[in-house]
Amino acid sequence: MKKVFAVIPAMNESRNIGNVIKAVRKHVKNIVVIDDGSSDDTYDVAKAKHVAVLKHIINLGKGAALKTGCEFAIKNNATHMIFIDADMQHDPEEIPNFLKALKKYDMVFGYRKMTKSMPFILRFGNWCINRSTKYLYGLEIYDTTCGYRAITAKAYKKIRWETTGYFVEAEMIANVGKEKISYTQIPIKTIYSDKYKGTTVLDGVKIVINMLMWRLRR
Amino acid sequence: MIVGIQIVGALFSLFMLYYTFIHYKKKEFTVKESVFWFILWTLFLIVTLFPEILSPVVSTLKLGRTLDLLIILGFMFIIACIIYTYGLVRINQKRLDQIVRKIAFDLEKKRKEK
Repeated sequence: MKKVFAVIPAMNESRNIGNVIKAVRKHVKNIVVIDDGSSDDTYDVAKAKHVAVLKHIINLGKGAALKTGCEFAIKNNATHMIFIDADMQHDPEEIPNFLKALKKYDMVFGYRKMTKSMPFILRFGNWCINRSTKYLYGLEIYDTTCGYRAITAKAYKKIRWETTGYFVEAEMIANVGKEKISYTQIPIKTIYSDKYKGTTVLDGVKIVINMLMWRLRR
Repeated sequence: MIVGIQIVGALFSLFMLYYTFIHYKKKEFTVKESVFWFILWTLFLIVTLFPEILSPVVSTLKLGRTLDLLIILGFMFIIACIIYTYGLVRINQKRLDQIVRKIAFDLEKKRKEK
């Protein structure tokens, strides 16, 4: 029987986490929030919404938070997992699209359309990383840094990542390529808030270097 | 005759001997570790003051000066240290990751039990 878990890593998102949980709950019953060492009351706000909340006593990074959430979901017999950011960047109304795509594929990547609403530097960085992904892993991923994704439990067990930080999205792709996991991509809406915490140029360079390292480790 | 660079090298090794001693006194280094570092820095001091000791090695390796040999050995040592430290950091990162995850699971389990 299908059991879907929404995995929401959060750090200092007390302002948004309540709304995110409320919106996600419309589509997914099982929600796990991972408070990654927040200094605000993210943990209490999430707990008040009666969902599973796991607290990292120190900040480990997005990769570790996602892994904690996935391991928790697996322990609780999850068959499918969907990753969604806690800062309202992703529209939970699109969850059904991911779940529908998961019926045919083991991994679903969301991708943001390269519109003018996306900062130029992010568009350029994404393009560079996308080219590297294509060259190193033979995968044509439109948006390597987008965190809105869904995966089957079976596929997760094959691509468990080691990255603790925000390079996790890139390592996921690398592992999908290595393990030849079936995947598809669906367009998503993205809301860029004022406090947008996207990757910098330096992060982009680090991602490419890491992708090369993961390729060599193969 | 002792030249300038030898004085610098000698002072450096004396400082490192003192540094090792401080760590030993504070019990931050074990006896074995301290002995290793004392021997290393004493050897460094001897080679700095009497570089001709290494002349047979320098000529065998076809190097111009003893200083070249020391620089090469220094680089090799630093690279080895970096790789060793990188390995340690990776191991510790994994351990930290596992500990924090376990604590998170335990906290959630306790909360459920309440």
